[in-house]
Parts: sequence; C-alpha cells; structure tokens
Amino acid sequence: MHVAVRHFNVAEYYQMARAGVLAEDERVELVRGEIVAMSPIGIRHAACVNQINMRLNRWARGRFVVSVQNPIRLDDHSEPQPDIAILKPRDDVYFEAQPRPGDVLLVIEVADTSMGYDREEKVPLYAEAGIPEMWLVNLPEGVIEIYTEPVGGVYSSVRQVARGGVLTSAFLPGLSIRAADVLG
Amino acid sequence: MQVAVRHFNVAEYYQMARAGVLTEDERVELVRGEIVAMSPIGSRHAACVSRFDMRLQRWARERFVVRIQNPIRLDDESEPEPDVSVLKLRHDFYADAHPMPEDVLLVIEVADTSMGYDRDEKAPLYAEAGIPEMWLVNLSEAVIEVYSNPVDGAYSSVRQVARGGVLTSASLPGLSIRAEDILG
Repeated sequence: MHVAVRHFNVAEYYQMARAGVLAEDERVELVRGEIVAMSPIGIRHAACVNQINMRLNRWARGRFVVSVQNPIRLDDHSEPQPDIAILKPRDDVYFEAQPRPGDVLLVIEVADTSMGYDREEKVPLYAEAGIPEMWLVNLPEGVIEIYTEPVGGVYSSVRQVARGGVLTSAFLPGLSIRAADVLG
Repeated sequence: MQVAVRHFNVAEYYQMARAGVLTEDERVELVRGEIVAMSPIGSRHAACVSRFDMRLQRWARERFVVRIQNPIRLDDESEPEPDVSVLKLRHDFYADAHPMPEDVLLVIEVADTSMGYDRDEKAPLYAEAGIPEMWLVNLSEAVIEVYSNPVDGAYSSVRQVARGGVLTSASLPGLSIRAEDILG
C-alpha cells in the first residue's frame, strides 16, 4: 500500500471553490496537483512587486498585459499565481479563459523567505511549461536570477543581476529596469 | 513567504464529497488535514483483514461492533479509515455519527508496503487520540506489533507477536487469536 496525498486537477480545484471549500480570497495556488497555501505577503515583498509592476506598465503602454498575482493555467494540474506575469495581448483581454503557457512572455516571482521552494519547485514548473523567461527576485540577498531558454523541462540559461545591474529581456523589446529600483 | 499544502478540516472534506470532488467510492482518508490517497488493497492484505473480521465477529457475538475499512472521526482534522476497528456497541450502529475516539477499543492496520507510514504516522495519530490499543500487522516480516497504553500522544507499550504467539487485548476480554491464523 503506497501512501500519497490526494492530488487535484484544475476542474476539481474550481469545484472546491464553487462549493465554498476554498474561499474566493484565499491565498492558494495549484502546483502539480497540490493545493499550496501561501503565507501573507510581507512588506518588502509587496513593495518589490509594486515597483516592478509600475515600471512594467510604464514600459508596456497597453501593448502587453501586466498581470499581478493572478493565475496562469499551465496544465491540467498546475495553476500557480506568480507575483507578476507579462501576457501577450489577446482579443478577449483574458475575460474568457486563463492565460495558457503560450500567452506568457515572462513570469516574476519575488522571494522573501521562499527562495528554496521557488528555486526547486517553481523554476522547473515554469520551465516544463515552456514559459520563455522567469525572474526570481531574491530579496534577502539583493539579487535577481534570470532564467531563460527552457529546454527539456529546465532553463538552460541562468544569470544573476545584482544591485548595480539592469534587467532586460530578450522577449520584451526596449524593457530596461534598474535592479536597484526593484530591490529597494 | 512560507509554503505549505492547504489543509482541510472534516467539514471541508465532506463538502468536497458532496460537491463531487471526492467520489463516494474513492479510497482516501483525512490525516492531520491532508487527504491521503490509499492504493488498491492487495490480495494478502485483503485476506488478512478477512481473517481478522471472521475471528473478531465470532468473539464479539454482537457485544461489540466490528467494522472493516470505515471512518473514525478522531478530531476536526483527522478521519482515518483503519482496516479494522472494534467499537463499543451502540444500538444505532453509529448511523447518526461516525465513531469518536472514546467509542473505539481497538484499531488494526494491515501493512503490506506501508509499514513506515503506519508506524510513523498512524501509530502516533491513534495514540494522540487516546485509542487504547492498535495492532499493526507487518505482513512482509510476518509479525504483529501491539501498541497499547497511550500516554502523552505515544503508545508507552509495544510488543511483537510472531507466528506461534497469541494476540490478546486488555480492552477486549476473552479475545484470543493465534498469530498464524492471521498471518496465513
């Protein structure tokens, strides 16, 4: 008798929300069939997300959707809520269906105390889904890890941008954010 | 941001069943807020449970309720389904509510491949609930571990009964089962 936690697919996850088992404002995300509870967002985490959000929207000027702490439907068993996702424009403006991996140009996760989890679970999760780029903001160490070129479920390129550096993206033309502006 | 699997209480667990997220014949149990999936029951496991059932029913002669793979409500976050439970006689046969810890005289878990889980998770779970006695059948090593005298969340007495030995219980007067009648 093998023992494992019961996993849920996206349909069951939403069924649980409709049935009231999961409250609408509950901070959870679905990661590989597990419903993961997220802790309250700390002050530095919130400030960092706001700084990035402001700069991304200024750059996007309505050409892309900057989605903050909203779900992305990666597959039938994973619907994480990255701190920020840059989405391609879509005719329905995402009113009809959650963004799918093909809609996502960049995801950003901000880690205050969850670096280990984000690096070991989230990075492979996004790489396997083929998300072209992920930024992982390591607040305690004041550095941003940039993961690109997902190949065979892993990002084949990783580089670090520290406080004096500048954040740019191969897929987001003209974007340029000073690391110091988002690290606080 | 600390990361943990979302836990469920018994009310939410049943809400999920009513909503159809968990199907009625699904082999799951609630253990410390986690919905644990149980693997299919192997033939040796099934035979062992049947052997207990026959002998316990014969001994009980309707003075106790002997139940097979049915739930016990330990607390708000745990409702396991032990392979066998011996309950105080109640004339409604627990139709109005699942047995609570004080209704339970003995639980038996049969382990084919799940010894580690049963020893590390189930034994403390039952001990903390104050279940007076637990038998853990280790099929692969052909030995039955008898746990009794729960004190501060742990069974203070553990003994092993191998082939040649006889199973008896302090809380079940007159019960006597030969180990080989169970182990086959």
